[in-house]
Amino acid sequence: MTKRHKIVLLLSALLLLPFFGSRTWADDVSFTASAPKQVVMGKPFQLTFSVNHRAKDLRAPEMPEFDIIAGPYSSQSSSTSFVNGQRTSTFSLTYTYTLMPRKEGSFTIDPASIVVGGDTYRSNALKVTVLPADETPAASNSGPQQSAAPATSQPSSNRSGGDIFIKTQVSKTKVHEQECILLSYKLYFAGVDVAQFTNNTKLPEFKGFLKQELEQGDVQTELEHYNGRNYQTAILYRTLLFPQKSGDIEIEPANFEAVLRVQNRQQIRSIFDDFFATYSNVTKPLTAPGITIHVQPLPAGKPAGFSGGVGSFSLSSSISSNSITTNDALTVKLSISGKGNMKMVKTPSIDWPDGFEVYDPKVTNNFKSTTAGVSGSKDIEYLAIARAAGDYVIPAITFSYYDTNDNTYKTLRTEEYTVHVARGAGETDQTVVTTGTYTNKEDIQKLGTDIRYIETKPLPAEERKGAGLTGLWWLMYLVPALLSLLLFVLFRKQIRDNQDLTKVRYRKANKVAQKRLKKAAKLMNAGQDAAFYEEIERAAWTYLSDRLSIPQANLTKENIADILRSKNVSDERIQEVTDVLSTAEFARYAPAAAGSKEDLYNATAKLIDNLESTKI
Amino acid sequence: MKRLYLILAISALSLATFAADWDSANQLYAEGNYADAAEQYRAILEETPRAEVYYNLGNAEFKQGEIARAILAYERALRLKPNYPDCKHNLQFAQAKIIDNIEDNHRFFLAQWAEAFRNLLSEATWFQLSVVLFFCFLICAFLFAFGRSIALRKTGFHLAWITLLCSVVMLCCAASLHHRDTAREEAIIVQGIVNAKSSPDKSGTDLFILHEGTKVWVGETVNGWCNIHVGDNIGWITNSALERI
Repeated sequence: MTKRHKIVLLLSALLLLPFFGSRTWADDVSFTASAPKQVVMGKPFQLTFSVNHRAKDLRAPEMPEFDIIAGPYSSQSSSTSFVNGQRTSTFSLTYTYTLMPRKEGSFTIDPASIVVGGDTYRSNALKVTVLPADETPAASNSGPQQSAAPATSQPSSNRSGGDIFIKTQVSKTKVHEQECILLSYKLYFAGVDVAQFTNNTKLPEFKGFLKQELEQGDVQTELEHYNGRNYQTAILYRTLLFPQKSGDIEIEPANFEAVLRVQNRQQIRSIFDDFFATYSNVTKPLTAPGITIHVQPLPAGKPAGFSGGVGSFSLSSSISSNSITTNDALTVKLSISGKGNMKMVKTPSIDWPDGFEVYDPKVTNNFKSTTAGVSGSKDIEYLAIARAAGDYVIPAITFSYYDTNDNTYKTLRTEEYTVHVARGAGETDQTVVTTGTYTNKEDIQKLGTDIRYIETKPLPAEERKGAGLTGLWWLMYLVPALLSLLLFVLFRKQIRDNQDLTKVRYRKANKVAQKRLKKAAKLMNAGQDAAFYEEIERAAWTYLSDRLSIPQANLTKENIADILRSKNVSDERIQEVTDVLSTAEFARYAPAAAGSKEDLYNATAKLIDNLESTKI
Repeated sequence: MKRLYLILAISALSLATFAADWDSANQLYAEGNYADAAEQYRAILEETPRAEVYYNLGNAEFKQGEIARAILAYERALRLKPNYPDCKHNLQFAQAKIIDNIEDNHRFFLAQWAEAFRNLLSEATWFQLSVVLFFCFLICAFLFAFGRSIALRKTGFHLAWITLLCSVVMLCCAASLHHRDTAREEAIIVQGIVNAKSSPDKSGTDLFILHEGTKVWVGETVNGWCNIHVGDNIGWITNSALERI
């Protein structure tokens, strides 16, 4: 520390003492180192350390790559201001070194340390790139003082010695569709003084690209060694571009117009020339060359439901509740975060089960555009209201994108959610009323009716219920059927037997009658009149009974004529029958009054013969 | 013999406890505590399925707004006791509250009449009637076969074929009811809303929507999905969405 420095310090301390008051050293000490990022070989540059408090004992780091050609010089400044009764004080102490690089390359200047109020503070480390010196220009128009810092005015009358142009830079020339590229127009100038740019800038239209503007920020100049010369460079404009189609897309040239400050040529040479030199502004059109971007299409095999996303993404989701009641809202949140063409990503949809009233999802975009591309997150809130009770599965949300790191399609999916919807209290009628069919049915619905009341009688004892069609139910049909069949057969047999008897009698009627007639003839010859008549009468009745198949008990003299008539027997025969019967009967009781026995016998025999030939 | 007494004693005891449960469940219902009443009715039904208990359970479910469950209980009650006017009334009332309006319009009216006729009596009653008529038929057949007079035989003949026809019809009714009760092809949708699919898996196309309380006919079952017929529509739904009557 120099003596002068000490004195200044002391003076300033005395002056500032009342203002500092109770202020302590400890709060917000900042100790920073600064130096240009790029320096040129053979050119000195300044390294400064500043601290915002009074400090002592600066220890500069070892800097073997640089020669200290001057310094450290210290200077300090302070200011105090009152604004609305608030006192603000600033203080600054600066140490300055002048350094000269020894060799080209990138070097790090280690942190320095300083003591403030007994505590040691360290500054930041610095990175300095030493660029090679300008090559000796072949062209004769490069003056010897060409290499002076270009940002300052040059005392050169040589205008052509300056160089200014714009380069078009892209981060990639071969990309996939929708893959982000960074395009920047970079100004290079050396040996000229750029005053400003006019508004006459014509940027290309970027046809075939989606443009995402970047914050341009302050134009900062940097030194860059290019084609053997050190240029001041500045980024004029930069933007992110997303190719929207495949193929070779040309970006047209861009036109800029710079205003250069040029010293007028003066023939008068005097020592004041430099001080009173006059300058004029000259506009110079500058053209940034066009560039062609080779855009590859996305490979085949796009998954179904491809979202259009290209980049790298991740997915996360959450659900508001797993158990709700009807008419409650259910929210599913989905967050797509990552890097890529975030703006072009379609909002995935949820395939809600029926029974939910679905509303449009709410999308919140939270994107950040940097030179590295667009990153951030897209937060989607799906809202639905449960309208019917039940257990539902909300299917997984799938999100497909093209991964530019792995160059493949990837599909992400969230988890499935199971939701139990319970019936809300007092909601029973609403669910019914909401339907359209109910109103159609209202005409058959009695108003003011309700279900009938419960059964309140004591439960009856379990009534004996007959069995249905179980087990051997078919026996109930089979057994009676078989029994009746048996009965039927038996009955039939008996009837047939009966029928046979009458038939037999019918067939043997004549024979029996002839036998009785023979016996009657014997009795007649024997002179037994009563027996004869009896036999004749019996022969006639038996024959008739057998022939007619009518029991003898049912036959009388009165009905025999009717029966014979009903059997279509001729009246003559009927007369014969009644004659014979009445004669025989009469003779039995009054034999004397009767005719001859032979006549009766013959009449009876004739009657039987006649009836035998008659069809009955 | 001892065992028989034991069984009788146990059944009498259980009947007594059911009676107590029954009264307390009815009391809960009267107080408006339908959920607990329904729970108790279900407990009784596990032991002894009775039409009256199903009917009261249906009422308790209805009062809770569970229309589908109420319909299911009423249908089950009517299975056990077809002639139950209160139950029929309440079933109709509950059916007016369901959403799906499926009419049997596509069915021939005679088929609907036949079904209504069949449901008039229970399976056992139809069967018993059928057997009685079969006896009548046999008697008439004898009358026809061995009748002494022509008029008697004619009467016998006509009565015979009429009684045989009636007996067969009644047997068919009993058989149809027997099939219904054993195959259990009828079911009620119990899930609020269910989508019928074109195939028995989740990926099938949605064909139509059914709401709770709708009666469907269930066909074959595949992997927890069953084929259902409702009106003219045929589709597949999960087993859990329906309950067989």
